[in-house]
Amino acid sequence: MKRLNCLKLFFTGVLLCGLFSCQNSRKGSAEVDFPREKTLYLAGFQWGDPNTFNPLSDWPAFPVGGNFNLMYEPLMVYNTLNGEMEPLLASSYEKTDDVISVMMDPRAKWSDGKMVTASDVKFTYEIGKQYPSAPTSFVWDYVATVTVDTVTDTTEEGRSIEKVNFIINKEKRNNPLVVMDFLQAVRIVPKHYFTSLLDSLNGEFSELQKLKIDKDPVVSGPYNLLTYSGEKIVLKRRNDYWGNAALYGNRLPKPEYVIHPIYKSNDAFSISLQQGNLDVSSTFIPRIWMKQKEGVSTWYKKEPYFVPAAITMLVVNTTRYPLSDSKFRQAMAAAVSYKDIRELAFSQYSPPLQPGLVMPFGVEEKYFAVDDVQKYGITYDIEKAKKLLAESGVKSVFGSDGKLSHMENSKGEKLPTLFIKSPAGWSDWEAMVRIAVQGMREAGIDVREGFLDASLYWQAMPNGDFDLLMHGPSVSVTPSQPWSRFEAVMSSRNWKAVGEKMNENQGRYNNPDSKDYNAAVDSLLRLIPTITDDDQRREAYRALNNIFMQDQPTIPLVYRPEQFYEFSTKKWTNFPTEENPYAPPQCLCFGVGTKSLWEIKSTAEQE
Amino acid sequence: MLKRYPTLRYILTRAGWYLVTFMVAVTINFYLPRLGTSNPVDIIMAKVGAGLDTEAAKEKEEAYLKEFGLVELDKSGEIIRNESGKPVRTPTWKQFRNYVLMVMKGDLGTSFLNYPKKVGDMIKEAVPWTLAIQIPTIVLGWIIGNVLGALAAYRRGVFDKIFMPFSLFISAVPYFAVGMILVYLFAIVWNIFPAVGGYAGGLIPTFSLSFFSSVIYHYVLPFFSVFLILAGGQAIGMRSMCIYELGTDYIKYAKWLGIKENKILFYMFRNAMLPQLTGLALSLGLMVGGALITEMIFSYPGLGMAVLTAIQGNDYPLIQGCTLLITVCVLVANFTVDIMIGFLDPRVRAAYGGK
Repeated sequence: MKRLNCLKLFFTGVLLCGLFSCQNSRKGSAEVDFPREKTLYLAGFQWGDPNTFNPLSDWPAFPVGGNFNLMYEPLMVYNTLNGEMEPLLASSYEKTDDVISVMMDPRAKWSDGKMVTASDVKFTYEIGKQYPSAPTSFVWDYVATVTVDTVTDTTEEGRSIEKVNFIINKEKRNNPLVVMDFLQAVRIVPKHYFTSLLDSLNGEFSELQKLKIDKDPVVSGPYNLLTYSGEKIVLKRRNDYWGNAALYGNRLPKPEYVIHPIYKSNDAFSISLQQGNLDVSSTFIPRIWMKQKEGVSTWYKKEPYFVPAAITMLVVNTTRYPLSDSKFRQAMAAAVSYKDIRELAFSQYSPPLQPGLVMPFGVEEKYFAVDDVQKYGITYDIEKAKKLLAESGVKSVFGSDGKLSHMENSKGEKLPTLFIKSPAGWSDWEAMVRIAVQGMREAGIDVREGFLDASLYWQAMPNGDFDLLMHGPSVSVTPSQPWSRFEAVMSSRNWKAVGEKMNENQGRYNNPDSKDYNAAVDSLLRLIPTITDDDQRREAYRALNNIFMQDQPTIPLVYRPEQFYEFSTKKWTNFPTEENPYAPPQCLCFGVGTKSLWEIKSTAEQE
Repeated sequence: MLKRYPTLRYILTRAGWYLVTFMVAVTINFYLPRLGTSNPVDIIMAKVGAGLDTEAAKEKEEAYLKEFGLVELDKSGEIIRNESGKPVRTPTWKQFRNYVLMVMKGDLGTSFLNYPKKVGDMIKEAVPWTLAIQIPTIVLGWIIGNVLGALAAYRRGVFDKIFMPFSLFISAVPYFAVGMILVYLFAIVWNIFPAVGGYAGGLIPTFSLSFFSSVIYHYVLPFFSVFLILAGGQAIGMRSMCIYELGTDYIKYAKWLGIKENKILFYMFRNAMLPQLTGLALSLGLMVGGALITEMIFSYPGLGMAVLTAIQGNDYPLIQGCTLLITVCVLVANFTVDIMIGFLDPRVRAAYGGK
């Protein structure tokens, strides 16, 4: 039995080693490089290795791509709570039918001390005209030219202020709404820095796009890149940020460091939040109310917990029979239990769904017409679904066991089973599809789940290679909502046949070459961005939404937030919430949400 | 002529076979990801194409096809088009030729999904973590599993009766289940070990005491999640091998001669270990991809996750880079073990001696 004792000794030794090292690092925690009380951990925006921090490349890593305002800044920021534009590099804007102008803030500076000027703005936009692969190339369908005027400011000691004019491209899109989107979406880059880089590369823009720009980048925002690896991105506060004096009354943002850890599974976010190792997260965490006792909180304390901002829907391929029949599509819409989807698949993170594409709350509430929705909208009603199905001329055939076997057309020919394509492993979407299939089959519609590899899903979507497809179009909240949602679902302006790529209206609704083409849809979509009168705009949205509800080109399933804004109050407090709505529910690095960085409080400081 | 050097002859023959295997493996690694119908540029376009006009999206798509070497170019660097104006795709054999030429120059190419990051750089950053978690776990698990298995076979009795079912049980549990149970118990319920990451979030990797102690502290749970299962599996294999060896004549003879127990144990161990060595080679070779589950559960740094996303996104250069690495690891590990066996096992030498 001597050896048994040896074994015992060995295992005790291993255990002791583990405990010892644990004790050791507990003691050593004071020696970390980034003190916890001065560091904000936020996650969910970067998945996988950071590839590049070049603002002129196509998908740079956090916080350079997307709507992040920590390093590079846009002219203005859009407050998703009230629909107002707030100042950033530009202090105000004016809008007419022909031109949108912004007044540059003369106090804005780059991190190398040079001024942020109108020529930087002009450069950022015009680089897209010169090089088609630049991220700003697509703005030129909406903007005809960018011009600069110098006006003298009379309010403050006669400083000269530059005014940048974006002349609307009337020939092409004539869409001031999207130009408003640009003001808050296009991040201005330093002209002096990038022109000298471009010169050193003999004007080869594709070579410039390959540079990582990760060593002391010239930025205008409150933070700059300190270091990064496959595990995290570390940003350090710039104490000489121009906005501290200009916008925040000489205050510094509270966290000295902002760290974005890169996790590999969804569980890591949830565990880290509950343990206080992560302060802000933007991932889907089911049953968030179970985590409240661990200090994890959201915008609303109760359901729906998050602020709805977009609609997850089933896109219907309207070129295939019987999906081409609007009665059949309505029958499908009537067969889905939206309540089950909201409660079972989506953890109640959505208010009850209303028919149509206009959401009955927030900035777009003013376009929501209750009467129309009651008149035209389809709600969950299996009997109605059966009735609509009969009207469409499709007959359901049930087997001897009472289960649905297949569908037949009016000639008695068997119709193939329809499949709902959805990426395999996206568990909330999978649950939604299952609930939809269950309801539709109950109503006699022969539909099945078609879960497939995400890469095949992304390929099927633009090509129209599906019967039905899960999709969440137009998720960001921008000044152009809800127009951009309608455009993404109903526009046939860029019509392409199935098999060729279409980036909106993937269901091929309203073919302009067919005899039952409804020209009103496209003309309303063209008209709305140019309307300036509120009543007229409301009427136009009403008309468009009524067409949507009657034609049912897609089947909206549930509302979803712009981002799942979750935070832990273990290390930082005073996050914006419903009761304290000083900033929108955005993860402190995003849009107007960035200003929360100046307002949160460290719990260490309070003690 | 080599008949006089049987071991050398054995090694050279093996080396020849490994070279052939290597070439076949590289070819398969290249063609397999390209067999499917999905196309990497489509996946990228889903990322950058939203909101783009159809024409603008098409231009962008072609720019990527060109950048990634997936379309034919004429001498001035313009895309060659067919009658309908669509770009002509580079045939796979030509891509293969380009790939082999590049690899010979030591260039693994640029990742599609992590553009413009180089595959070589990605591997260089992640591999040390994968090796650091895997090598100690596999080697320790192997040694301890084998020692315990041999002991169980030799001593039998109560130890074996408890140890054997326990090993069977633990080796049948999947890695992820053990990992999740460990996280739940030690990180969430008792909160004595960290659940996430390879080191504390507030540190950057340096050669400092605080960094290393943090690494060790974070290493405990991932280590045991693999170690327990591996040791259990090895122990079962070793136990059966030893029981077989114990029944052989030479052990009986040795016992009869009254040789010391430890000495007999050593003889038995050496002979029973040979098949186990091959198992060690296999697990060492597969470790680069094998750490995936551990990586995901603990959000541990490493290459496994990159391989998974590369496969999902048809990131050909990254898949090729990683599978090349795995191939090389498997072959080198096996070759090393073959050489060791050549020295350890007199039968092998005899076979190549051509008596």
